[in-house]
Amino acid sequence: MNILEAKKIHKSYGNKFMKQEVLKGIDISIEKGEFVTIMGASGSGKTTLLNVLSTIDRVSHGTIRIEEKELTGQKEKQLAEFRKHHLGFIFQEYNLLDTLTVKENILLPLSITKASKKEANVKFHAVAVELGIEDIAEKYPHEISGGQKQRTSAARAFIHEPGIIFADEPTGALDSKSASDLLGKLSDLNEKREATIVMVSHDPVAASYSSRVVFIKDGHIYTQLNKGGQSRQAFLKDIMKTQGVLGGVQYDH
Amino acid sequence: MTINQLIFRNMKKNLTNYYLYVFALVFSVALYFSFVTLQYDPSMNEATGTIRGAAALRAASILLVSIVAVFLIYANNLFIKRRSKEIGLLQLIGMTKQRIFHILSAENLILYFGSLVIGIALGFSISKLMTMIVFKVTGVEGVASLNFSSEALVQTLLVFVGVYGLIMLLNYIFIKRQTILSLFHVKQKTESRVRKISIIEIVMGILGLGLIGTGYYVSSKLFDGDFISINSLFAAMIFILASVIIGTYFFYKGSVRFVSNMIRKNKAGYLNVNEVLSLSSIMFRMKSNALLLTIITTVSALAIGLLSLSYISYYSAEKTAEGEAPDDFTFVSTEDAVEFGDALSEQGIGYSDQTTDLVRAEVYIEDIVGADMGNLNFDGSWTSMAIVSDESVEDIDVSENETKFAGYNDAMNKLMNLADSGEIKIRGSDEEIEQEYTGISKIDVLPTFFTYGLPTAVVDDSVFERIESQADPDLQIQSSKFIGLTLEEGASKEEADEIFQSMEVSEKAGNTSQYASTQFQKQNMGLIMFIVGFLGLTFLITSGCILYFKQMDEGDEEQPSYTILRKLGYTRKDLVRGIQSKQVFNFGIPLIIGLIHSYFAVQSGWFLFGTEVWTPMLIVMGVYTALYSIFGLLSVLYYKKVIREAL
Ligand SMILES: Nc1ncnc2c1ncn2[C@@H]1O[C@H](COP(=O)(O)OP(=O)(O)O)[C@@H](O)[C@H]1O
Ligand SMILES: [Mg+2]
Repeated sequence: MNILEAKKIHKSYGNKFMKQEVLKGIDISIEKGEFVTIMGASGSGKTTLLNVLSTIDRVSHGTIRIEEKELTGQKEKQLAEFRKHHLGFIFQEYNLLDTLTVKENILLPLSITKASKKEANVKFHAVAVELGIEDIAEKYPHEISGGQKQRTSAARAFIHEPGIIFADEPTGALDSKSASDLLGKLSDLNEKREATIVMVSHDPVAASYSSRVVFIKDGHIYTQLNKGGQSRQAFLKDIMKTQGVLGGVQYDH
Repeated sequence: MTINQLIFRNMKKNLTNYYLYVFALVFSVALYFSFVTLQYDPSMNEATGTIRGAAALRAASILLVSIVAVFLIYANNLFIKRRSKEIGLLQLIGMTKQRIFHILSAENLILYFGSLVIGIALGFSISKLMTMIVFKVTGVEGVASLNFSSEALVQTLLVFVGVYGLIMLLNYIFIKRQTILSLFHVKQKTESRVRKISIIEIVMGILGLGLIGTGYYVSSKLFDGDFISINSLFAAMIFILASVIIGTYFFYKGSVRFVSNMIRKNKAGYLNVNEVLSLSSIMFRMKSNALLLTIITTVSALAIGLLSLSYISYYSAEKTAEGEAPDDFTFVSTEDAVEFGDALSEQGIGYSDQTTDLVRAEVYIEDIVGADMGNLNFDGSWTSMAIVSDESVEDIDVSENETKFAGYNDAMNKLMNLADSGEIKIRGSDEEIEQEYTGISKIDVLPTFFTYGLPTAVVDDSVFERIESQADPDLQIQSSKFIGLTLEEGASKEEADEIFQSMEVSEKAGNTSQYASTQFQKQNMGLIMFIVGFLGLTFLITSGCILYFKQMDEGDEEQPSYTILRKLGYTRKDLVRGIQSKQVFNFGIPLIIGLIHSYFAVQSGWFLFGTEVWTPMLIVMGVYTALYSIFGLLSVLYYKKVIREAL
C-alpha cells in the first residue's frame, strides 16, 4: 500500500519575470514501511522536494496524497493539523529548542496532540531507550554532543508514531561515527516500528542504509535504485556508481 | 564590489535595524529639546518665576538627560549587537578594527545628526503644543507664542554631542574587545545559558521578597511619628529606596526563576505550547533580564508614584477649596452677604443663599479617636468643635441621642483614624450631654474658618438648642452663623468671582470665594504637575520602548524555534497564544510590581500632598497601565510578524 503518492509535482520560486523552476514534474510514491533516500547534487531541489512532500511548502502544480488524504489545496491550519498527527521531522540544524530540556523537546509532538501525561512518559521511555538517550533527559541542548542532539531530534520524530518521518540531511553536521550510529538507529526503528522514512542526503554512505534511493537531477527523477536482497556494501557501491554517472557537484555544505 | 558598495548594501539590508535606532534618537532629541525650549522660554517666566519652579525645572532636565542617555546607550547596544555579523564579515575580508570603527562612526554620525535635526524640528512643534498645555493647567493667562530659542538649541546640541561621544566610546570598546569569531557569536554569547537552579538562587529570591517587605513596612511607618528629625526621615527614605530596589533585583534574579522552575518540575518534561513559549523562554532569559526588569520596575514605580502624588495635589485642589468653603461664596456676616448678593443681582446673576447657625463647644471624643495620635498635638479628650443642627444639613437627619460628623476627607481620616461608632459627650456650661456617635459623612457643612479643619458635629435640633443656650462664650468666634451663596446653575463662577474680588467684603477674614481658592491651589500645583507629568511620560515611553526593543530582539532570536514548532504542526494561532501569555508576563510583572511599589510609596506620604488619595491614584494607575499596555500589544504584533515569517 502506498502511504505517499505525489504526481506531477512542479515547484518554482520567484515572480513572473524571474522564475526559477526547481521541480519540473516529479512523480514519486512511497510504500508503508519503506526507507527512501533522495539524492542529488547541491541545489538540485532535494530540500524543496522534501518540503513540499511534507506540507511545509506548497507545490506550484501537482497533487500529493498521504495516507489517502489529498493535501494540495488544503488550508494552512489543516496542514498544520495533519503534520501534528501524521508526520515526524528530523532536520540538519536548528532542530532543538535551546530553552527546553531533551525530554521536553522530545515530548513536544505529544503535547500538541494533548496525550495524557502517563502515556507520554511511557512513550518517552520506550523511544529514549531505543535511541540511548535516557541519561541525558534532563540536560539542555547546549550540554550534549551533536550526535546526541540528532538522536534527540530523531526521538522527537518517532515519539508520536507518525505515518511518515521526513529527514533532511540528518547526518550533515555529524562526524562519521555519530552519523553511522544515528543511521543504524534509524534503520532499526524503521524495521521495529515499521516507520516510513523519507530522507534527503548527499552522502552515499547514509543512503546505503535505506531500502531505496531516488536520484533527482534538473528537477526530474533521474533514476532509482532498490537495495533488494543485497548487502549494504554492495548497495553502497551501486549508489556511488550511479552518482558518478550523474556527475556534477557531489557535496554541498 | 568596492568596500563602499559593501557598506551601502549592508546599510540597505539593515534598514529595519536603523529605523529602530533612528526612532529612539528622534524621540529622545524631540523630548529633550522641547523640554529645554520650555525652560528657556520667556513666556514661561510667570510660571517658572519662583526659585523653586526654576530649580524644579533644572533638576527635571538633569533627570531627563540621564534617562535619555541610558535609553540611547541601550538602543545602540541592541543596534550594534544586531550588526555583529556584518562587523565580523568586514573583519574577515581584511579590514582593520580601526577602519571598521571609522566606518561605523561615520555612518553613525550621519544617522545621529540627521535624527538630531529631525528631532529638534519635531521637538519645537511639541514644545509649542506643550506651552499651551502648561498655560492650561497653571491657569496663567497669555497666548502661547513660542520663540525658537538658540540657548535651548545649544544646550540640546551639547548634550547630544556628549551622548554621541559616549556611544562612540562604548562602540570602540566593543569592537576592540571582539575577535572575529566572538563577533559572529555575539548573539548567542550575551544570553546566559540555562544552569541548574542553585541554593543561592532560592536564598536570593527569599531575601528579595524579605527586602521588599521590609521596605514596605518601613514606608508605612514613615510618617507615624517614629522618625522625627529631618535626618532620620531622610535616612529612612534612602533605606526604603535601597531595600526595595535591591529586593526587586533579587526577586527577579531568584524567585521568578525558582517559581517557574517549580512549575516546570511539576510538569515532568511535558509542557504545553503556552509553557514552551512563555515559561521556558522567560526562565531562559530571566537572569540576564533581571537588571533590565529592575530598572523598568523602578522607573515605572517612580513615574506612577510621582504622577499620583502630583495628581493627588491637583485633584485635591478643588476638594480642599470645597472643604474650606462648601458653597460657592461664604460669608460670616449677613450684611456682607446681602451686599454681595445685591451686586450679583445687579449683574443679573442668579443665586440662592442659606444661613447656618452654629455653636462651638467641647466634645469628648477620646473613645472614637484611633490610638496612634502621637503626631497630632491634641489628646482627643475634650476637643473644641463646631456644632450645627441637623435642620441645617439637608442630607443628614439624626435622632435626639445621636451625633454624626460631617466634612471628611482621606487625609483627616488617616490622621484621626476615627472609629465607626462609639460614645461621645458634649459639654455645656450646665451639663454634659451623652451622645451616640454614628459615623462620619463626606458632606462639607462648614468652612474651615469655623471648624479649624476638624469635622463638624451634626446633632438633633433640640440638642442643638440646648447646647446653644449654655454655650461657653470663650469658645465662640465673632460670628455664630455663616451664609453660603450658591450660584444658579449655568451662572459663570468666574464672573461672580470678579465681582467678589472687586468688593471690599472680599478682604474680610472668613469671606471666601471657592473659585478663587481652587484657582490658587491649581496654580500652585500646575507647574509641578506639568514637570512631573512630563517626566512620568518620558519614563513611561522610555521603559516601554526598551522593553519593546528587547522583545524585538528576543523575537528575532527565537524565530528558529518558531520554525521548528510550526514544522511540528503548531499553528500560528497556537504560537501567538503562547506569545501572548509570555508578554502578559514580560510586561505584566514589572508593571504589577511597579504598581505595588508605587502604591506603598503613595500610601506612605500622600497626605502631605492633598486630601484625596483613591480616585487620583487609581486614575493615574489606570492611565499608566493603559499606555504601557500599548507597548505590550506592539510587541505581540511584532511577534506575529516573526511567526508568520518563520515558515
Ligand atoms: N525560498 C526560496 N526562494 C527562492 N529560491 C529558492 C528557495 N529555496 C530554494 N531555492 C532555490 O531552489 C534550488 C534548490 O534548492 P534546494 O532544494 O535547497 O537544493 P538542495 O537541497 O538540493 O541543495 C536552489 O537553486 C535554490 O536557490
Ligand atoms: Mg538541502
